[in-house]
Amino acid sequence: MPNLSTQASKLLPHLFQQLDAERSVTVLHIGSALPETVDFFSDYRCKLHFIDVFPALPIVACEEPAVTQAQQFKELLRFPGETAFDICLFWDLFNFLDGDAITAFLSVLRPHLKQGSLAHAFSVHNRKAPQQNHFYGIQNLGELSVRSRRITPTGYAPHSQRELTALLDGFRVERSVLLPDSRLEMLLLKS
Amino acid sequence: MIGPSIVIKGEVTGEEDLLIQGRVEGRVNLNGNQVSIGESGEVYADIQAKVIQINGKVTGDINGHEKVIISKSGNVHGNIVAPRVTLEDGAMFKGSIDMDPAVANTGRATLEAHQPGHSAAQPLKASGLDLKSV
Repeated sequence: MPNLSTQASKLLPHLFQQLDAERSVTVLHIGSALPETVDFFSDYRCKLHFIDVFPALPIVACEEPAVTQAQQFKELLRFPGETAFDICLFWDLFNFLDGDAITAFLSVLRPHLKQGSLAHAFSVHNRKAPQQNHFYGIQNLGELSVRSRRITPTGYAPHSQRELTALLDGFRVERSVLLPDSRLEMLLLKS
Repeated sequence: MIGPSIVIKGEVTGEEDLLIQGRVEGRVNLNGNQVSIGESGEVYADIQAKVIQINGKVTGDINGHEKVIISKSGNVHGNIVAPRVTLEDGAMFKGSIDMDPAVANTGRATLEAHQPGHSAAQPLKASGLDLKSV
Protein backbone atom coordinates (compact mmCIF):
# COMPACT_ATOMS: atom_id res chain seq x y z
CA MET A 1 0.00 0.00 0.00
CA PRO A 2 1.32 3.48 -0.78
CA ASN A 3 2.96 5.29 2.13
CA LEU A 4 0.76 7.26 4.47
CA SER A 5 1.19 10.80 5.70
CA THR A 6 -1.23 13.32 7.10
CA GLN A 7 -2.19 16.87 6.25
CA ALA A 8 -3.96 19.29 8.55
CA SER A 9 -7.31 20.53 7.26
CA LYS A 10 -9.02 23.66 8.53
CA LEU A 11 -12.16 23.00 6.51
CA LEU A 12 -12.81 19.35 7.22
CA PRO A 13 -14.46 20.04 10.61
CA HIS A 14 -17.03 22.27 8.89
CA LEU A 15 -18.34 19.30 6.94
CA PHE A 16 -19.39 17.57 10.13
CA GLN A 17 -20.43 20.29 12.54
CA GLN A 18 -24.02 20.49 11.29
CA LEU A 19 -24.67 16.76 11.25
CA ASP A 20 -27.58 15.41 13.21
CA ALA A 21 -26.34 12.44 15.25
CA GLU A 22 -29.82 10.90 15.11
CA ARG A 23 -29.87 10.80 11.35
CA SER A 24 -27.83 8.74 8.94
CA VAL A 25 -25.40 10.76 6.84
CA THR A 26 -24.88 9.91 3.17
CA VAL A 27 -21.40 10.52 1.80
CA LEU A 28 -19.95 10.51 -1.70
CA HIS A 29 -16.23 9.79 -1.68
CA ILE A 30 -14.50 10.18 -5.03
CA GLY A 31 -11.48 7.91 -4.95
CA SER A 32 -10.30 4.69 -3.38
CA ALA A 33 -11.72 3.53 -0.07
CA LEU A 34 -9.04 3.79 2.61
CA PRO A 35 -8.99 2.02 5.97
CA GLU A 36 -8.72 5.23 7.97
CA THR A 37 -11.70 6.78 6.17
CA VAL A 38 -13.92 3.79 6.89
CA ASP A 39 -12.67 3.76 10.48
CA PHE A 40 -13.42 7.47 10.87
CA PHE A 41 -16.99 7.05 9.65
CA SER A 42 -17.58 4.00 11.83
CA ASP A 43 -18.55 6.39 14.62
CA TYR A 44 -21.41 7.75 12.50
CA ARG A 45 -24.65 6.32 11.23
CA CYS A 46 -23.72 6.61 7.60
CA LYS A 47 -23.83 5.34 4.07
CA LEU A 48 -20.57 5.78 2.20
CA HIS A 49 -20.42 5.62 -1.57
CA PHE A 50 -16.86 5.04 -2.77
CA ILE A 51 -16.45 5.73 -6.46
CA ASP A 52 -12.99 5.93 -7.96
CA VAL A 53 -13.29 7.72 -11.27
CA PHE A 54 -9.55 8.43 -11.57
CA PRO A 55 -8.73 5.21 -13.46
CA ALA A 56 -11.31 6.25 -16.08
CA LEU A 57 -9.67 9.60 -16.78
CA PRO A 58 -9.64 11.47 -19.05
CA ILE A 59 -13.40 11.72 -19.53
CA VAL A 60 -13.86 13.00 -23.07
CA ALA A 61 -16.78 12.83 -25.46
CA CYS A 62 -16.57 9.98 -28.01
CA GLU A 63 -17.79 10.46 -31.54
CA GLU A 64 -17.96 6.84 -32.66
CA PRO A 65 -19.96 5.45 -31.00
CA ALA A 66 -21.41 8.74 -29.78
CA VAL A 67 -21.07 8.83 -26.00
CA THR A 68 -21.33 12.10 -24.14
CA GLN A 69 -19.34 12.90 -21.03
CA ALA A 70 -22.57 12.96 -19.04
CA GLN A 71 -23.37 9.42 -20.22
CA GLN A 72 -19.92 8.29 -19.17
CA PHE A 73 -20.33 9.81 -15.72
CA LYS A 74 -23.79 8.31 -15.37
CA GLU A 75 -22.31 4.92 -16.08
CA LEU A 76 -19.41 5.46 -13.69
CA LEU A 77 -21.40 6.92 -10.82
CA ARG A 78 -24.56 4.80 -10.96
CA PHE A 79 -26.24 6.50 -8.00
CA PRO A 80 -29.30 4.70 -6.70
CA GLY A 81 -32.34 6.81 -7.52
CA GLU A 82 -33.22 7.81 -3.97
CA THR A 83 -29.69 8.75 -2.94
CA ALA A 84 -29.18 12.29 -1.61
CA PHE A 85 -25.72 13.21 -0.41
CA ASP A 86 -25.09 15.23 2.73
CA ILE A 87 -21.34 15.36 2.11
CA CYS A 88 -19.32 15.06 -1.10
CA LEU A 89 -15.59 14.50 -0.92
CA PHE A 90 -14.28 15.43 -4.35
CA TRP A 91 -10.64 15.85 -3.28
CA ASP A 92 -8.66 16.90 -6.38
CA LEU A 93 -11.08 15.59 -9.03
CA PHE A 94 -11.74 18.97 -10.61
CA ASN A 95 -8.03 19.42 -11.37
CA PHE A 96 -8.31 16.47 -13.74
CA LEU A 97 -11.52 17.38 -15.57
CA ASP A 98 -11.90 19.93 -18.33
CA GLY A 99 -14.74 22.41 -18.19
CA ASP A 100 -17.16 20.27 -20.17
CA ALA A 101 -16.40 17.26 -17.99
CA ILE A 102 -17.04 19.22 -14.79
CA THR A 103 -20.36 20.40 -16.22
CA ALA A 104 -21.24 16.84 -17.16
CA PHE A 105 -20.20 15.45 -13.77
CA LEU A 106 -22.29 18.00 -11.89
CA SER A 107 -25.30 17.44 -14.15
CA VAL A 108 -25.31 13.81 -12.99
CA LEU A 109 -24.64 14.69 -9.35
CA ARG A 110 -27.02 17.63 -8.92
CA PRO A 111 -30.24 15.58 -8.63
CA HIS A 112 -28.59 13.75 -5.71
CA LEU A 113 -27.80 16.84 -3.68
CA LYS A 114 -30.02 18.24 -0.99
CA GLN A 115 -30.45 21.59 0.69
CA GLY A 116 -27.34 22.13 2.81
CA SER A 117 -25.17 19.55 1.06
CA LEU A 118 -21.52 20.30 1.70
CA ALA A 119 -18.44 19.33 -0.26
CA HIS A 120 -14.69 19.37 0.00
CA ALA A 121 -12.37 19.90 -2.95
CA PHE A 122 -8.84 20.90 -3.78
CA SER A 123 -8.11 23.41 -6.50
CA VAL A 124 -5.22 25.73 -7.24
CA HIS A 125 -4.40 29.36 -6.58
CA ASN A 126 -2.06 29.38 -9.57
CA ARG A 127 -2.68 27.21 -12.64
CA LYS A 128 1.04 26.43 -12.76
CA ALA A 129 0.76 24.61 -9.45
CA PRO A 130 2.49 21.24 -9.88
CA GLN A 131 0.46 18.05 -9.96
CA GLN A 132 0.24 16.33 -6.60
CA ASN A 133 0.28 12.62 -7.20
CA HIS A 134 -1.70 11.83 -4.08
CA PHE A 135 -5.02 10.45 -3.03
CA TYR A 136 -6.83 11.27 0.15
CA GLY A 137 -8.79 9.97 3.07
CA ILE A 138 -9.86 11.17 6.51
CA GLN A 139 -7.53 10.47 9.41
CA ASN A 140 -9.54 12.40 11.99
CA LEU A 141 -11.72 15.49 12.18
CA GLY A 142 -8.78 17.84 11.64
CA GLU A 143 -6.46 15.77 9.47
CA LEU A 144 -6.53 14.21 6.05
CA SER A 145 -4.57 11.10 5.24
CA VAL A 146 -2.42 11.43 2.15
CA ARG A 147 -1.10 8.51 0.14
CA SER A 148 1.02 8.38 -3.00
CA ARG A 149 -0.60 7.08 -6.15
CA ARG A 150 1.02 4.14 -7.88
CA ILE A 151 -0.47 5.22 -11.21
CA THR A 152 -0.56 8.87 -12.19
CA PRO A 153 -3.99 9.97 -13.45
CA THR A 154 -4.01 11.62 -16.84
CA GLY A 155 -5.45 14.98 -17.75
CA TYR A 156 -4.09 17.25 -15.02
CA ALA A 157 -5.15 20.74 -16.10
CA PRO A 158 -6.27 22.79 -13.11
CA HIS A 159 -8.64 25.68 -13.54
CA SER A 160 -8.24 29.18 -12.24
CA GLN A 161 -10.35 30.05 -9.22
CA ARG A 162 -12.65 32.19 -11.34
CA GLU A 163 -13.13 29.45 -13.96
CA LEU A 164 -13.78 26.77 -11.41
CA THR A 165 -16.21 28.89 -9.41
CA ALA A 166 -18.17 29.51 -12.62
CA LEU A 167 -18.13 25.82 -13.51
CA LEU A 168 -19.37 24.61 -10.13
CA ASP A 169 -23.04 24.89 -11.05
CA GLY A 170 -25.00 23.79 -8.00
CA PHE A 171 -22.34 24.75 -5.47
CA ARG A 172 -20.94 27.99 -4.18
CA VAL A 173 -17.54 28.35 -2.55
CA GLU A 174 -18.27 28.88 1.13
CA ARG A 175 -14.65 29.08 2.31
CA SER A 176 -11.21 28.46 0.88
CA VAL A 177 -7.79 28.12 2.44
CA LEU A 178 -4.47 28.66 0.69
CA LEU A 179 -2.12 25.70 0.98
CA PRO A 180 1.56 25.26 0.12
CA ASP A 181 2.47 24.82 -3.58
CA SER A 182 -0.25 27.26 -4.68
CA ARG A 183 -3.02 24.84 -3.84
CA LEU A 184 -6.39 25.67 -2.39
CA GLU A 185 -8.65 23.73 -0.10
CA MET A 186 -12.31 24.57 -0.66
CA LEU A 187 -15.51 24.12 1.28
CA LEU A 188 -18.51 24.08 -1.07
CA LEU A 189 -22.16 24.53 -0.18
CA LYS A 190 -25.07 23.58 -2.40
CA SER A 191 -26.40 26.83 -3.81
CA MET B 1 -15.07 -25.78 4.36
CA ILE B 2 -15.64 -25.39 0.64
CA GLY B 3 -12.31 -26.45 -0.81
CA PRO B 4 -10.32 -24.70 -3.52
CA SER B 5 -11.47 -27.00 -6.32
CA ILE B 6 -15.15 -26.93 -5.35
CA VAL B 7 -17.67 -24.89 -7.38
CA ILE B 8 -21.16 -24.34 -6.00
CA LYS B 9 -23.94 -22.72 -7.97
CA GLY B 10 -26.94 -22.11 -5.74
CA GLU B 11 -27.84 -21.18 -2.19
CA VAL B 12 -25.70 -22.13 0.78
CA THR B 13 -27.44 -22.11 4.18
CA GLY B 14 -26.66 -23.73 7.52
CA GLU B 15 -25.90 -23.29 11.19
CA GLU B 16 -22.14 -23.52 11.39
CA ASP B 17 -19.18 -21.39 10.44
CA LEU B 18 -18.01 -21.70 6.87
CA LEU B 19 -14.67 -21.19 5.13
CA ILE B 20 -14.89 -20.74 1.38
CA GLN B 21 -11.68 -21.50 -0.50
CA GLY B 22 -13.45 -22.39 -3.73
CA ARG B 23 -16.04 -20.69 -5.90
CA VAL B 24 -19.65 -19.96 -4.95
CA GLU B 25 -22.24 -18.42 -7.25
CA GLY B 26 -25.72 -17.61 -5.95
CA ARG B 27 -26.36 -16.81 -2.29
CA VAL B 28 -24.75 -17.55 1.07
CA ASN B 29 -27.00 -17.33 4.12
CA LEU B 30 -25.52 -18.24 7.51
CA ASN B 31 -27.30 -15.74 9.70
CA GLY B 32 -25.97 -16.79 13.08
CA ASN B 33 -22.46 -17.75 12.04
CA GLN B 34 -19.22 -16.60 10.51
CA VAL B 35 -18.40 -16.80 6.84
CA SER B 36 -14.74 -16.52 5.85
CA ILE B 37 -13.65 -16.24 2.27
CA GLY B 38 -10.11 -17.54 1.97
CA GLU B 39 -7.46 -16.06 -0.30
CA SER B 40 -8.33 -18.52 -3.04
CA GLY B 41 -12.07 -18.03 -2.53
CA GLU B 42 -14.22 -16.41 -5.20
CA VAL B 43 -17.80 -15.58 -4.32
CA TYR B 44 -20.27 -14.19 -6.82
CA ALA B 45 -23.15 -14.07 -4.40
CA ASP B 46 -24.98 -12.03 -1.82
CA ILE B 47 -23.77 -13.02 1.65
CA GLN B 48 -25.63 -12.82 4.94
CA ALA B 49 -23.92 -13.87 8.16
CA LYS B 50 -23.14 -12.72 11.67
CA VAL B 51 -19.48 -12.05 10.90
CA ILE B 52 -18.00 -11.96 7.42
CA GLN B 53 -14.23 -12.01 6.86
CA ILE B 54 -13.01 -11.56 3.32
CA ASN B 55 -9.50 -12.53 2.28
CA GLY B 56 -10.44 -13.41 -1.29
CA LYS B 57 -12.75 -12.01 -3.94
CA VAL B 58 -16.43 -11.15 -3.51
CA THR B 59 -18.81 -9.70 -6.05
CA GLY B 60 -22.20 -9.22 -4.43
CA ASP B 61 -24.00 -7.51 -1.59
CA ILE B 62 -22.87 -8.27 1.94
CA ASN B 63 -25.00 -8.11 5.09
CA GLY B 64 -23.03 -8.65 8.29
CA HIS B 65 -25.22 -8.66 11.37
CA GLU B 66 -22.23 -7.96 13.61
CA LYS B 67 -19.26 -6.93 11.47
CA VAL B 68 -17.55 -7.22 8.13
CA ILE B 69 -13.77 -7.36 7.77
CA ILE B 70 -12.03 -6.95 4.43
CA SER B 71 -8.45 -8.13 4.85
CA LYS B 72 -5.43 -6.83 2.98
CA SER B 73 -5.81 -9.52 0.32
CA GLY B 74 -9.57 -8.98 0.04
CA ASN B 75 -11.26 -7.57 -3.05
CA VAL B 76 -14.93 -6.64 -2.80
CA HIS B 77 -17.28 -5.20 -5.38
CA GLY B 78 -20.71 -4.67 -3.87
CA ASN B 79 -22.68 -2.98 -1.16
CA ILE B 80 -22.07 -3.68 2.52
CA VAL B 81 -24.54 -3.28 5.37
CA ALA B 82 -23.14 -3.89 8.85
CA PRO B 83 -22.89 -2.13 12.20
CA ARG B 84 -19.10 -2.21 11.89
CA VAL B 85 -16.87 -2.49 8.83
CA THR B 86 -13.10 -2.81 8.91
CA LEU B 87 -10.98 -2.30 5.83
CA GLU B 88 -7.40 -3.41 6.22
CA ASP B 89 -4.50 -1.69 4.50
CA GLY B 90 -4.27 -3.01 0.95
CA ALA B 91 -7.88 -4.15 0.74
CA MET B 92 -9.73 -3.31 -2.48
CA PHE B 93 -13.32 -2.11 -2.21
CA LYS B 94 -15.77 -0.71 -4.72
CA GLY B 95 -19.32 0.04 -3.70
CA SER B 96 -21.15 1.45 -0.72
CA ILE B 97 -20.90 0.87 3.02
CA ASP B 98 -23.93 1.33 5.25
CA MET B 99 -22.88 1.45 8.91
CA ASP B 100 -24.77 2.05 12.13
CA PRO B 101 -22.65 1.67 15.26
CA ALA B 102 -25.78 1.90 17.42
CA VAL B 103 -27.00 -1.39 15.96
CA ALA B 104 -23.84 -3.23 17.02
CA ASN B 105 -25.13 -4.14 20.44
CA THR B 106 -28.84 -3.92 19.89
CA GLY B 107 -29.78 -5.90 16.85
CA ARG B 108 -29.20 -6.79 13.29
CA ALA B 109 -28.35 -4.62 10.35
CA THR B 110 -30.71 -4.92 7.47
CA LEU B 111 -30.06 -4.75 3.77
CA GLU B 112 -32.30 -1.97 2.50
CA ALA B 113 -31.89 -2.61 -1.15
CA HIS B 114 -29.87 -4.58 -3.67
CA GLN B 115 -31.81 -7.77 -3.21
CA PRO B 116 -31.74 -9.33 -6.64
CA GLY B 117 -34.32 -12.01 -7.21
CA HIS B 118 -33.18 -15.56 -6.76
CA SER B 119 -35.44 -18.45 -7.56
CA ALA B 120 -36.35 -20.76 -4.72
CA ALA B 121 -35.41 -24.37 -5.29
CA GLN B 122 -34.93 -27.68 -3.54
CA PRO B 123 -32.20 -27.67 -0.89
CA LEU B 124 -29.37 -30.20 -1.06
CA LYS B 125 -27.91 -31.27 2.30
CA ALA B 126 -24.13 -31.36 2.54
CA SER B 127 -21.95 -31.36 5.67
CA GLY B 128 -24.40 -29.37 7.77
CA LEU B 129 -25.03 -26.86 5.00
CA ASP B 130 -28.07 -26.59 2.77
CA LEU B 131 -27.20 -26.05 -0.86
CA LYS B 132 -30.10 -24.82 -2.97
CA SER B 133 -29.65 -24.94 -6.67
CA VAL B 134 -30.73 -21.92 -8.71
